[in-house]
Amino acid sequence: MNPLIEELKQLIIDSLDLEDVKPADIDAKAPLFGSGGLGLDSIDALELGVAVQKRYQVKLDANSADTRQHFQSVENLAKFISSQRPA
Amino acid sequence: MGTSMLRADGDGLPQVLGGSSAVSRGDFRRRVQTLRAILDMHPAKRWALICEDSGWFGVGLLALAAHGRSVVLPQAPQAGALKDLHIDAVLTDRPQAFAGFEVVTATEPGAEFTPTDVLLDEATQVEFYTSGSSGAPKCVPKAFAQLRLEVEALERQWGAGLGDAQVTGTVPHYHLYGLLFRVLWPLNAGRPFHASMCLQPFELRAAAGEHCVIVSSPAFLSRLQDYAEMPPAASVSALFSSGAPLPDESAQGLKQGWGRSAIEVYGSTETGGIAWRAWENVEDRPWWRPIIGVDTEIRPEDSGPRLWVRSGCTWGNDWMPSGDLARYGTDGRFALQGRADDVLKFEDKRISLSEMRAELLHHPWVTEAKLLLLPGTRQQLGAVVILTAEGRASLDAQGKRALQDQLRDALRERYEALLIPRKWRFPEALPDNAMGKTEQASLLALFEVQA
Repeated sequence: MNPLIEELKQLIIDSLDLEDVKPADIDAKAPLFGSGGLGLDSIDALELGVAVQKRYQVKLDANSADTRQHFQSVENLAKFISSQRPA
Repeated sequence: MGTSMLRADGDGLPQVLGGSSAVSRGDFRRRVQTLRAILDMHPAKRWALICEDSGWFGVGLLALAAHGRSVVLPQAPQAGALKDLHIDAVLTDRPQAFAGFEVVTATEPGAEFTPTDVLLDEATQVEFYTSGSSGAPKCVPKAFAQLRLEVEALERQWGAGLGDAQVTGTVPHYHLYGLLFRVLWPLNAGRPFHASMCLQPFELRAAAGEHCVIVSSPAFLSRLQDYAEMPPAASVSALFSSGAPLPDESAQGLKQGWGRSAIEVYGSTETGGIAWRAWENVEDRPWWRPIIGVDTEIRPEDSGPRLWVRSGCTWGNDWMPSGDLARYGTDGRFALQGRADDVLKFEDKRISLSEMRAELLHHPWVTEAKLLLLPGTRQQLGAVVILTAEGRASLDAQGKRALQDQLRDALRERYEALLIPRKWRFPEALPDNAMGKTEQASLLALFEVQA
């Protein structure tokens, strides 16, 4: 089990104040936004962006076309954060 | 009948940026003409227009207006929101999302005829749907001419300072504000606009370019952590904010931390744009000044002194009531003093709790429901639901989360994700006070007890 993925699930639950959702309920591959996953809304997207940047000190690069992809699922987010950390 | 609306010159200049709809001015007109020709062969009279891409939305809107058929813009861009709107067909860039409807795809490449002036039928009716106090979505019909007059007023008020800036934004195009500011005004003025809405600050920075206009709202601007997240102020010709008043600290923060004031626009779907203000100092903060061409009047009514409005965008250029109470200050400026009805503003969106309650009561699991705004750093809706026997059986069988997810899904068919209640309580009975009335305080108490 990837500890970063578990940590991110908890971060999502805490920062978005999701009630009745446990880390185990979140499918790391499922879409975070829209239907078929957690169903987060556009304000959640903003707040999650803020929480992730604060916690992991990562910078979301405005010029990178795939930044939007990073927020597609917990798994993508974990990959992105790992790639930003010094090896 | 017959106005052009679109700029007839500069065929090679960009009109739509990004997305699958990126196109030049000339090719934009070709797309409108092509789609219009397709619509001409179609018998449907009432068309729902639902596009994800703002460029295709613009093409669809103008093609329908050229065709003179009624345009229906539901409250949320999804099939569930079309219930009871009596539409004949859907014009969309996502045909797969509208199974069971008569669908025409908006994403037609422009055929190669000479770009001619696109003539629009000014009497075309465009129906907006918003939350009213009646408990059902409220239809706000407009003639296309009103929309044209409105964007012409915007250009007179602010156009001179904008040049050929590209227009980008953080609000959807299916509400009046986004439709006017992000799509129709740029089309009318010949400014390029971005096909997708920016969800996060980094997307805005990426989209901004060297010279831009930003169409935003308090939901976005009040969540900035650092003004460096915004595109540099020097590259922004204007930052608009509408939907609700910007919190004072955000208005002041933008001016002092970022370097420019947001132009706040006050208006409503019914009245169109009414007035504006920008941060100058604390004393001037409450005062709104009417947009050029808008007359205001404050009339005493039972609910208090209500603001009335008259402009080219109100029907027949006649007076109409706003939803707000107000008082005059000096030199024609006015201050707002709360709503004159029971409609709530929630994250810049209008929501009627009685309408959402009625929607919940349709569900076979729900016998009674109360909705309330929960206090906290983020405004959110809470739902207190009394379940039917069937609902209670379902709760016992699948648990609270699964049950509330299904109720949320039922609401999601009709409402934007943003408006769906985030916290749910299923007590055996509503907390009543001695008078037999459910008190707001006892409902709120249900949410304060954390397991």
